[in-house]
This record gives sequence, structure tokens and C-alpha cells, in this order.
Amino acid sequence: MECIITIEIGTNAVRILAIDLKGNVIAKSKGSYPTFHREPDYSEQDPDQMFITMLYVLKNLLSEQIHPKNHTVISICFSASMHSVLPVDRHGVPIGYAITWADNRGKNEALELKNSGIGQKIYEATGTPIHPMSPMIKIAWMKRYDSKRFEKTDKFITIKSYIIQQLTQDYLLDYSLASATGLLNIHTRKWENNALDFAGIKAGQLPDLVPVFHPLNRLRSEYQKSLGLPKGVKIIIGSSDGCLATLGGGIWEEEKATITIEDSGAVRVVGKKPLNDPQQRIFSYLLTDKYYVSGGPTNNGGIAFEWFTKHFGDFKEAYDIEYAMKGLITEASTIKPGSEGLLFLPYLLGERAPIWNANARGSYFGINIKHERQHFIRATLEGILYEIYSIGKTLEDHKNFNSLTTNGSFASIPFCTQILADLFNKPVSVGKNPDSIAQGAFLLSATDLGIFSDLEDAAKSVVMSTTFEPNYQNNTAYMKYFSIFERLSSKLHEEFADIARLQSEL
Amino acid sequence: MPHCPFKYQHETLAEVNRFPHIVEFGLRNNNSVTLDSFEVRKANYLQLYYIVDGKFDWIINGKNETLYPGDSALILPGQEIGGAHGYFGIGTLYWIYLKVEKIDSEGYLVLGKWSRIKKSEWQIIGKILESNQKPVMRAGEFSSMFQVMQSEIENSEIGSFTRVNYILDSILILLCRQVTRQAVSRRDFPKSFTNLEESLRKDLSHKWTVEEMATLMGLGTTTFTEKVKNYTGFPPLNYLINIRISEAIRLLKLKDINITDIALETGFYSSQHFSTTFKKLTGHTPNEYRKRYTSN
Repeated sequence: MECIITIEIGTNAVRILAIDLKGNVIAKSKGSYPTFHREPDYSEQDPDQMFITMLYVLKNLLSEQIHPKNHTVISICFSASMHSVLPVDRHGVPIGYAITWADNRGKNEALELKNSGIGQKIYEATGTPIHPMSPMIKIAWMKRYDSKRFEKTDKFITIKSYIIQQLTQDYLLDYSLASATGLLNIHTRKWENNALDFAGIKAGQLPDLVPVFHPLNRLRSEYQKSLGLPKGVKIIIGSSDGCLATLGGGIWEEEKATITIEDSGAVRVVGKKPLNDPQQRIFSYLLTDKYYVSGGPTNNGGIAFEWFTKHFGDFKEAYDIEYAMKGLITEASTIKPGSEGLLFLPYLLGERAPIWNANARGSYFGINIKHERQHFIRATLEGILYEIYSIGKTLEDHKNFNSLTTNGSFASIPFCTQILADLFNKPVSVGKNPDSIAQGAFLLSATDLGIFSDLEDAAKSVVMSTTFEPNYQNNTAYMKYFSIFERLSSKLHEEFADIARLQSEL
Repeated sequence: MPHCPFKYQHETLAEVNRFPHIVEFGLRNNNSVTLDSFEVRKANYLQLYYIVDGKFDWIINGKNETLYPGDSALILPGQEIGGAHGYFGIGTLYWIYLKVEKIDSEGYLVLGKWSRIKKSEWQIIGKILESNQKPVMRAGEFSSMFQVMQSEIENSEIGSFTRVNYILDSILILLCRQVTRQAVSRRDFPKSFTNLEESLRKDLSHKWTVEEMATLMGLGTTTFTEKVKNYTGFPPLNYLINIRISEAIRLLKLKDINITDIALETGFYSSQHFSTTFKKLTGHTPNEYRKRYTSN
């Protein structure tokens, strides 16, 4: 059987899937790697460990699940997390570890730039919100505070570029990932001079730009041999996790949005034009030369519920968090929507969209003497989803949608999907393939192979398994509390800054 | 009720060599303060205390510790212990001093032949006890164990040697488990795993076993292996190979360290073993890989 391999270089792990040409997953495998936090704001990964892990997982998948069954790999498509920066010297040797999207070291540089006129200009040109996640900010920080490393750097590449370079020798970057660096003008699709100036680098220090369908040159012979790949296999560079999750979410230009919630989360739409938000709350990244994915990301998705579970859940056995989570959700379902007036602001990790405030912190609000443990559980879940809804609302300022699709481990918990439908007061469908990023990568490859006439055609092929219909009464209850949630999240600016400062002094 | 005070000291008793490894074992009740009776000094033995009642303010390894009934304190040879005010404190406590056979080449404690703990297990237990930062632990279950040891020694019935030593082994094992359990939260797998990964990277040249890794996470090997496979996609030893190879790759790119040194530093048995593993994973030998970075 012919199949397409998708390789997703994610935040915590590489996930590799083999999908047949009808879209059925026939094999999958993963391998994780650690994130290092040398300083509280730092978030780094070892590029060689990521490469080795990717190679190891790919090799095992091929030799254990693909070659023995006589499946033929006809195409491979890559996906990677956005916003990573890896400085390499002129021999291509990494200088230190790669800096990931979650790294906040440039928070002061970001704040400074965001409030300046040039900041607004750069946001409009690049579609990337001015935030420490942006590689532009990270490079500017390095120039200022780690000048030794900055001077030694020949090229600033991304994790994906490094992995591609290891495999083929070429320094490449697809337009999708490039558009998330804060350095690319998403309208002209050229490096943006204002942004390069702010970062303090030249265009020549960045990888070569290529479309998402770009076929890679031959693999280095040793990999071709050790992986046992057929000669004709077409390897395309692919796109970013965010863009591919959107494509895999099965939405296209029509009035739809897709919600992804894993540890973090996002609400996204697709369109022919980028969305330009005067308050800089929304990103717009390039999916292809014609289409943009716009939306807002939250830091506090499933990870906030995981935090709650770790500390307040009932653990049957050591580390059995799934059991503990299930128990909590059963308890939460005994409480009425709205948690009888208990609200939770989920900002455990600061927040990106829509408030874009790294100092934001979590809070329970409205506790009264009648509230019990179960109220806190339900309020925690609702708070995470209120935040998703508030991103959706921001997007609706620019674009209408009348239904949503959802994916990711947290969003597809039925209890959560129903709350999402009730909050948005719109039907929410869950995709058949929970791995929407792999699904998106598969659709990209399949379109490239001519299986679909274009990406729109490809997106329409995504099969939904269940649809959750909104409950009007629940919606009314939620909206009353949401209006307080929304006001609280914007009112506490000064207090967030003060408490964050005190916490950072600990 | 056990007799109090009670004291066994192997030099003073007639059967001198009945428990040659036990230097002292006793139960005592302090009703009044005797000044200068317990000054801070370095321990010569493996010293274990168990508080039956009362309250004891001690200084252990330079830190003030208050011990309450049900607490135990474990002091290893070379560590320091003494009363916070120079005296023991008011209350009842058991104490036992064990002779340590020797300290081996790697600097770890070796117990005598009396112990039935397997050598490979003791290597792990000893290491964990030595890395312990919190010498005072809750150990309510020790109360009956100390009482049984006391009556076995007092009555010297048949089999007392075996029973006492069996209890001593049990106590050391329980202490080791307690140390790992209080060091890791058994709720947060990713966090505990990150800590484990840090320990692995700090001592990559060590030949880590699954038992050692599992113990550091406070788990048995079966659960540990399953959890790691689930979380990382790899069985523990394969995950370890990932770390070894990635570190080796980093070192290969530095020109001034030779391949045999890299192999040993990253925990391979030999440069041959390193070479085969490296080639199996990456498709080329360490030498070829290094050339890629030095030629251009």
C-alpha cells in the first residue's frame, strides 16, 4: 500500500505518522525530548537530541511498521513548532541550545517595542504580535545581552531548518514558519527591513525561503541507506504546526473557525487576507502564497487543568494522571454551568491572546461559603474555556463564523467540547483524526501529489466524527459570568504587574 | 513494654561477636538536661535514631532539625550531628550505630556480610541515602521494628541474629524508599522525569541500570519502564542512548577531544561499542561524522 509519512517536530516530542492515500492512519510513533530551563524565563532544547530522536523514531517506524508490511512511502511532509531560534556558526555547528517559543527572556525588549510607533509598523508588516515568543525579539535580546554568542553566529535558523540541514545539507525555511519569526513581511513575502534592523541582523543570516510544497534535495546517502527509503520518495518541507492544525481542522474560507487545545491552545481562521488588529491581538501567518491563517494563542490550555489535577486530584497510583483527571471531570459534571458564580482566571503562565500580558496571573473570584471542591474543579475547566471563547470573540471582531471544529487532547474531552459549543452558541465538531497537525501535513502532501486539486478541496475531505450542538440555556448562564470574567482579565493590569514583580524577586 | 533503659554494646557483653556490626543499640529516656552530653561531631558509623516520645532539637549537617515522636534520623559516616544546645533533649529514643565495612573506590558505603541486600541493590540504596538532603524522616512503622530488635537481642532466642539483621535490612530499604518518595512528587511525571534526566546527564559516564533510574523516581522497574515508554516513546535504556548519542554529537563537533574519550565520557563501554551504536542510529561512524564538520 502507498502511504505518506508526516513528521511533526513538536514542543515536547516528535510524532511520526504513516497515512494511506485515503487518509487512514496506518502507523504512528513518537519520541520525546526535554526542555531545559537554565533560568526561570529560559526555555531551550538540544537540537541534536531532537534530530537523533526524530531519526530514531523514523527508523523504527519504517523498519517495524512500514517495510515489513510492504507499504511504499511515496511522500514525506514536515511540520514544526513556530518561533524557535537556533544560532549556528559558519561550520553549521549549533552555538548553544535552540530557544523555543515559550522562552520569555526578551520580555522587556518586547514591551518597549510594542508601545513604540515602529512596533505597530512591524506588527502590521509581519503579522507576528510583538511578544518575547517572536524570534525577532529573541535575536535582539541576544545582540544586547549575549553579544559573544551573537557575534559568533553565522546564521540564525529554526529547529526545522537544522533538521532539514542535517538531512540534506541545505539551509531552508518555508514561508509558513518564516512568517512566524516576526522578520518576514507577510504582504510582500520578503524579509522586513524594519524587523531585521531591530533584530540587528542581515537577510543573509537567515535561511533561504521556499514554498511549503518545496521538494528537498536528495537525502545524504547515509540516511537514504539507513532509512531504506525508495529513490523516488518526494520529501516536502511542509509548514508550521499552527497552519497545519488549521488545515487538518478541516476549515477553509467559509465561515468557520477551528479550536486546538493541547497544553496550550489557539483559535484560528483561514482567509485570503491577513487580519490586522489595531490592538495587535491577532497573528496572521502564511499557509501558502495565497492563504493566511489568523488567530490567537493561549498559554493556558490543558496545562492549567493538569496543574489543578496534580495538586488536587485523587491519584490511584503513582503518576496516574489520566485516572485523576477523569475523576475530576466526573465531579465537575455534578455542578451547574457557571459553577454557581465561581470564576477562574487561568493565567498560570502569563497570557498571550487576547490580553497579551506576560505578568497576568491566575485567580479564583467570587468564592462564597457554599462553594465546594467540585465548584473549583468546574470553575477551573470553565475558566480555561472562557479564555478560548474570549480569543474567538476577538476574532469575530474581524470575521464571522457560524460553526467550529475542534481538536487536541483537551478540547476533545466531550465535557469540554460541549462547554465550547455552549459558550460560542454554535455547533462544534470533533475531527475523526485527533492528530490534526499530521492530518494537515498529510493533506499538504496529498495535494502536492495531485490527490486533491487544491488545499480547499483537501480541507473539505476532513471527516468529522461528532458534532456538539449548543444549549441555549447554558449559553445564557455562561454569558452572564463571562462578562465578569472579561472585565476582570483586563481590569487587573496594575495588580498583575505588582504581583509578578514580587514573585520574580523570590 | 520494652525495658528502658536498655543498651547493647558489643565490647561489653560476654558474647562479644554476636552482632559484630552493631556498635551500639539502645533505648533511653532523658528526664533532665545533662549539659555537654551531645556535642556536634562527625559520625564514625551509620547512625540511626528513632524518637519514641518527647522533642529533640538537633543540628544535623549544619542545619537545625526538630524531631518529634515517629521521626527518625539517618546519619552517615562523616556527616555531623549533635544537640542544638549541646544536649540530647528530653524524651525517649532508640539509637543504633552500625559499622560500615569500608568505603569503596567510587566512595560508596559497603555493608558487611551480615546484610542480605544484593550488592547491585545496595549500590543504588547507598547512593540514594548519601544523596539525601533531608536526614529526618517520618517513620512510624519503625517503632515495632525497634522493639522486636530489642527483644531479640535481650532474649537471644534461636534465630535472633537472622531476625535482627533482617530488620536492619528492612529499615535501610524503607529509608531509601522514603528518601525517593519525599524527593519526587509522585503526581508530576514530567517534572520527576526532568529531574531524572538531569541526574543522567550529570553522570553520563555511569553505567545506569533500569533499577537505578526507577528507584530515583520512586517506582518499581515494571511501572517505570511502562511509564517512560508511554511518555517518551522509548524504553528507558533506549532513551538513555538518545541522550548519550546527542551528547556525543556535541562533543564530536569540538575538535580537541578524541573519540575514545568521547565514548567513555558519554557512557559507552568502548570506542567500538560507541562506533557501532552511533552507526546504527545515524548511518555513519563517529569519525565520518566528525569529518563532515571539519572538512567544510
